[in-house]
Amino acid sequence: MIKVTINGKEINLEKAMTVLEAARSAGIKIPTLCYHEQLEKYGGCRLCLVEVERMPRLQTACTLMVTDGMVVRTETEAIANVRRSVLEFLLINHPLDCPYCDKAGECELQDLVEKYGPATSRFKESKRKVTESLEDPVLVRNMERCIVCTRCVRMCEGVQGAAAIAVIDRGGHSHIEPFSGGKFDCEYCGNCVSVCPVGAIMSRLHRHSYRPWQLVSETETICPYCGVGCTLVVQVRDDVIKRVVPRIGTAVNNGLLCSRGRFGYEFVGHKDRLTAPLIKKDGVFEEATWEEAIRLIARRLGEIKDTFGGSSIAGIASPRCTNEDNYVFQKFMRVTLGSNNIDSTARTGYAGAQAFIENIFGQGATANLIPGLSNSDAVVVAGGDPTAMNPILGLQIRACARKGGNILTIGHIKGLRHYTPVELRPSLFSEDILLEGILSALKDKKGLPGSNQILEGKIKDINLSSAEVTRVCGISEKDFALFIDKLSGASNAAVVIGKEVVQSSGGSYRLLLLAAITYLINGRVYLLSERANEQGLLDMGCAPDLLPGYRPLGYAEFRKKYEIAWKSPLPEQPGLTIFEMIEAAKSGLLKAMYIMGENPVFNMPNSKEVEAALKKVDFLIVQDIFLTESARLADVVLPALSWSEKNGTYTNMERRIQRLRKAVTREGMEDWRIVLEIARNMGSKMNYEDSENVFFEISRVSPLHRDLGYEEIEKGTAIYPYKGEPLRSLTEEIRTEKGGSIESAGKLYLRLERPLFHSGTLSRKSQALVNIYAGAVARISPGTAGRLSLKDGDIIRISSGIGSLDLPLAVEKAVEDSVLMLTNNFEGRGAFSLMEYSIDPVTKAPVIDGNVVTVEKVGR
Amino acid sequence: MEKILLKNIENPNSTDINEYIKAGGYTSLPKAIGMVPKDVTEEVKKAGLRGRGGAGFPVAMKWTFASADPKFPKYLLCNADEGEPGTFKDRPILEKNPHLLIEGMAISGHALSAEYGYIYLRGEYPAAKHILEKAISQAYDKGFLGDNIAGKGVKFHLAVHQGAGAYICGEETALIESLEGDKGQPRIKPPFPVNVGVFAKPTVVNNVETLSNLPYLIAVGGEAYSKIGSPDCPGPKIYCVSGHVEKPGVYELPMGTILRDIIYTHCGGIKGGRKLKAVIPGGISTPVLPPDKIDCPMDFVNMPKHGSMLGSGAVIVMDETVCLVKVCYRALRFFEHESCGKCTPCREGTGWLRKILGRIEKGEGMDGDIDLLLSISGNMLGKTFCPLGDGAASVVQNFIKHFRPEFEDHIRSKTCTVAG
Amino acid sequence: MFSEAAKKELQEIRLRYPNARAALLPALYVAQREFGWLSPDAYETVSDLLGVPKAIARGVGTFYAMYKHKPAGRNIVQLCTNVSCMILGAERLVDFLKNKYGLEPGGTTQDERFSLVIMECIGACGTAPAMLVNDDFYENLTENYIEEILQRYK
Ligand SMILES: Cc1cc2nc3c(=O)[nH]c(=O)nc-3n(C[C@H](O)[C@H](O)[C@H](O)COP(=O)(O)O)c2cc1C
Ligand code: SF4
Ligand code: FES
Repeated sequence: MIKVTINGKEINLEKAMTVLEAARSAGIKIPTLCYHEQLEKYGGCRLCLVEVERMPRLQTACTLMVTDGMVVRTETEAIANVRRSVLEFLLINHPLDCPYCDKAGECELQDLVEKYGPATSRFKESKRKVTESLEDPVLVRNMERCIVCTRCVRMCEGVQGAAAIAVIDRGGHSHIEPFSGGKFDCEYCGNCVSVCPVGAIMSRLHRHSYRPWQLVSETETICPYCGVGCTLVVQVRDDVIKRVVPRIGTAVNNGLLCSRGRFGYEFVGHKDRLTAPLIKKDGVFEEATWEEAIRLIARRLGEIKDTFGGSSIAGIASPRCTNEDNYVFQKFMRVTLGSNNIDSTARTGYAGAQAFIENIFGQGATANLIPGLSNSDAVVVAGGDPTAMNPILGLQIRACARKGGNILTIGHIKGLRHYTPVELRPSLFSEDILLEGILSALKDKKGLPGSNQILEGKIKDINLSSAEVTRVCGISEKDFALFIDKLSGASNAAVVIGKEVVQSSGGSYRLLLLAAITYLINGRVYLLSERANEQGLLDMGCAPDLLPGYRPLGYAEFRKKYEIAWKSPLPEQPGLTIFEMIEAAKSGLLKAMYIMGENPVFNMPNSKEVEAALKKVDFLIVQDIFLTESARLADVVLPALSWSEKNGTYTNMERRIQRLRKAVTREGMEDWRIVLEIARNMGSKMNYEDSENVFFEISRVSPLHRDLGYEEIEKGTAIYPYKGEPLRSLTEEIRTEKGGSIESAGKLYLRLERPLFHSGTLSRKSQALVNIYAGAVARISPGTAGRLSLKDGDIIRISSGIGSLDLPLAVEKAVEDSVLMLTNNFEGRGAFSLMEYSIDPVTKAPVIDGNVVTVEKVGR
Repeated sequence: MEKILLKNIENPNSTDINEYIKAGGYTSLPKAIGMVPKDVTEEVKKAGLRGRGGAGFPVAMKWTFASADPKFPKYLLCNADEGEPGTFKDRPILEKNPHLLIEGMAISGHALSAEYGYIYLRGEYPAAKHILEKAISQAYDKGFLGDNIAGKGVKFHLAVHQGAGAYICGEETALIESLEGDKGQPRIKPPFPVNVGVFAKPTVVNNVETLSNLPYLIAVGGEAYSKIGSPDCPGPKIYCVSGHVEKPGVYELPMGTILRDIIYTHCGGIKGGRKLKAVIPGGISTPVLPPDKIDCPMDFVNMPKHGSMLGSGAVIVMDETVCLVKVCYRALRFFEHESCGKCTPCREGTGWLRKILGRIEKGEGMDGDIDLLLSISGNMLGKTFCPLGDGAASVVQNFIKHFRPEFEDHIRSKTCTVAG
Repeated sequence: MFSEAAKKELQEIRLRYPNARAALLPALYVAQREFGWLSPDAYETVSDLLGVPKAIARGVGTFYAMYKHKPAGRNIVQLCTNVSCMILGAERLVDFLKNKYGLEPGGTTQDERFSLVIMECIGACGTAPAMLVNDDFYENLTENYIEEILQRYK
């Protein structure tokens, strides 16, 4: 127990803390500026100076640790003087442009001056003049206003780990700049904006469009982008989203956001949003009333069901829609239409990988807490860059490195390069060998724990010498040994698996190897998830073989329960996966498709095939917020409410169930309500008042969500398994399929770039993100460029077996040799239009790593 | 007094290791290595050696703190950033007597069980860099540095780290930051460098002159050493005198030599027989003294009693032709230029003071400016992150305290009546 | 890019420190020599070689007065004007350089032969006024002496 006396008040503290924290805990206010609870201590602004008995000088409360018996005074005349003079110093060079500054009203300096500052200025000289920098598309820098508290720099370097800005020059010339001096060219997390106490770094998105006190509402909700599930606060004026900010203390992201979360909201108010249902007549869309559209759909689906049976109809659910939307959707498919043909783009990797891992370790094996990553002593990363796919999770890995953990990366993981003691980059198509080698070496070093016989049976068969591994993979023996050394020494390790693992040939075998490595080091698995509710839709039963609560459809016992709950028989046959749907549509077996909040023509490989398949379907319904590539093919298009316009829940990759809240009002219906209307038009008795009502039913039928209600969810502690019991592990034989050996010499492989700034349909309608990353660019390494006699800035034609694209070329060191990286984010120029795929027999995921392309220069 | 620190520097080959050995060098190092580290520190304690970098901190105490910390390796940093204006006392050691410093560092390294040392050399001394590097390599060749010093298995490695023009890097925590490849901005204390210093390891920072005392100190023993100079503050001291004296330069004298004697006896008095106007006794950050206050013993203990500080022992003598407003202005220009920018009062205050002083100097002073200067410097003093800001504030305060009429005259006459 | 010799030098420097970051200041000196000044390219090169983020490297570099952030003349005249030099006439020498060579503080002569940097104390107060030309010290300066000295630098 530490006893301190502040202003005569005795405070007893359990643990050591700063004088500032002690004072705040007792409700005593000490003004601060450079201090920020998320950042390293600094002690620069001097605003928090206090008197401490037996110390000759004034002390900064924000840095001084309390000691037992310390006596502090914070409200003496001398201290009042100090505060006034520090503020006077800050103001001498600070412009008095509050009437014009966007920060006015929430400016910490303004507030402090009002409370503690001098009334008049004694400064007669001319102020420092710096022109505002508008060179960046997203961030404006006004260095006249900067008070050099360095909060932004400490955030950028110490927390975000981007190290993109720094204090330039010194003394009175100190100012903040990105490397270029103009454009930031950074990760655009905007966390510098969050911490800047004044109007020195601000977002351009809402520049001069409102004053903070004019914001009408603030709504706490969940980010629509990736599976991390960050909490964000949506600030609205006149029913328009003005700004999105994080909040300190929230479960996953605690005051931080990434570029998509913070700047990717403009799609909501985009002018291209669909406003009315569209019905295609003679190949042309015509606006229709809801009644017309719904009646038409009900009639057509009814006819098709009657004529061809439920199995001739398929539904694609959405990882961007809420649990409630997806639950109602699958129930409609199963109960009203009598079809298990329901699936989603989670099939492109996440679903299969999770099923595979759970088969080995038991259900819920991938439900691990994201903030816990930073406390690991080692993190293995394979299959893609977490700092781009799941940025806030990526930050936890960086934080782990900062705390002394070893980050061990396999492959080209650009965002973690400065954080690893060793990265292993196997040559093309030798990842399996590398993983086999790691496994063998770990086995030799640590032995087998003996708790999972089936898995150990597999492990015993894998024996590869490190000499062999390093030779085949083209890595140094020293690096390999270091990697094994760091990994085998870990006692609290995590293994982070990205989608590329699953989308490569032999994906299931690779998963097995990673699972086995995890097993030997007794680690935790994290599966990266690209979409906000990818996990939730699986939990809701939007899979051809799963019922809500992740219950396997194949077990009659489970099926029975749902038949009773839903008062309807259920089709027994497992349905088609999303890829099988495409095949079935192509062959004419599928007569109708209902696509909710998904854009398969764009988001699935071999776009042209998908497009051709959808065209063959007799009756296609697409429900979305934009007239997407897929919607254009539809017979009926239904406009839905989007993310910030509705209530509901999302389940993130940790299986934390979180509340999505309505922030702006828009005419129209939630996805679930549209589905419900159709169902009711087809004679269903289903009925729900609101999303909470839907969730109530979920909590009654899904054992994973047993007894869970919105009230509980709001507390932020609804994490898997919530009260309900998980399934026991259903370990069956572990089936894997090795990839064939591939001769890569002299070829160029097309690989998918997963950029930080984009994720498909929403991001390309968000102007800020488009401004940051404007269009498709093909990237190759300097070595490959040399071999192909190409130069940075050339326009090249990329041709694959199924098409070709003309694109600008960028030559970048971070790219692997013999690989051409291309995103799938820009209309008409996506990598998927050039990629063919095969299906992994085990995970049912598409294998896309073997696409060979040729390139030729067509211009500059 | 026999020269200890500046011994032999007239020898044109003084930097050569053989000349140094011929003059009796590198005998204390083996002697020290023959002692247990604690005993070396004990001798230093007996000697009463205080740091010569400006603060006068007892050397043995610092060493004891660092030795007591269980972390290894430990580091010894030599502060050769000599940047305090008026100071040029370390330069002759660095350029003419490098082996004295190297031997001193190796002795200190042994006392601390430090395995690595760096000489943080200011960027403005390029010649010294080459001289030191050559001397270090000679010392390695002769086995006075390396993994097995004097064949006794003692390890001490030494390298030069060149600063790049930042006065603040003389402050020990800023120096550490700079050595680590960062901006030279002071660190929060505690933790102190003796516990968490460079590369987060226990670190001792000592000045060039301080460390150069060690060979002699070990040779004669702490007892004998403590007999030199002031009883409270013993040893030889290099005073460097510049400005209007007949014979400016470096003078190695017993600590505590009276300032007046330094000026009038050793330096031959004021140039051209002109009248003394002011003396800055210990480098520009130390309080200026008027002519009637120079009968003070120049050491760490006595100078504060006489209204100033020993600082680096850099005496700047100014005769009657000097405009003190201008000197004060130039001093603040220096502080403004060298403020690291970390804390508000120093970053903003130095510039503000400089601007007002510049105005007064140009004859554009206004009524109330002197009070404003005093108020601003009062708002800085004691509130800045490190002593640099205090120094700036106290310069203004002391110039006004002793020479207020000159400032008033500038404002009133709207011109300088001293220097025209 | 660094010359091979510079790369080798940097590797040697690197070995003096327990981590790469500590080699930043010496690396920037090498880069300044290689590139003539610390251009964005120079920073990117150092950043690549040491693995220090380039914005950080630039932030550190701009803190220190002796790194050049614009191209300079072939010879750098570094004249001290701090108190000891000032009271012995350093300001006259500044004027002299301006009048005689058109050399302004912070500027470069037309023929790019000299750049002038006003220094804070360079530790030659006992022989003031003083200056450094490149790495060479010159003390007890007068106008005539400066003229004589500068002739030696082409
Ligand atoms: C602003 C400032 C500048 C300093 N400059 C120097 C310097 O140039 N050389 C030096 O040895 N000490 C300098 N010091 C003192 C050092 O911080 C430190 O006290 C000293 O290096 C310790 O060595 P010593 O105990 O041997 O004196 C400076 C201190 C401050 C606050
Ligand atoms: S930009 Fe803002 S956060 Fe950054 S230093 Fe300036 S005031 Fe602080
Ligand atoms: S808040 Fe403590 S010094 Fe800034």
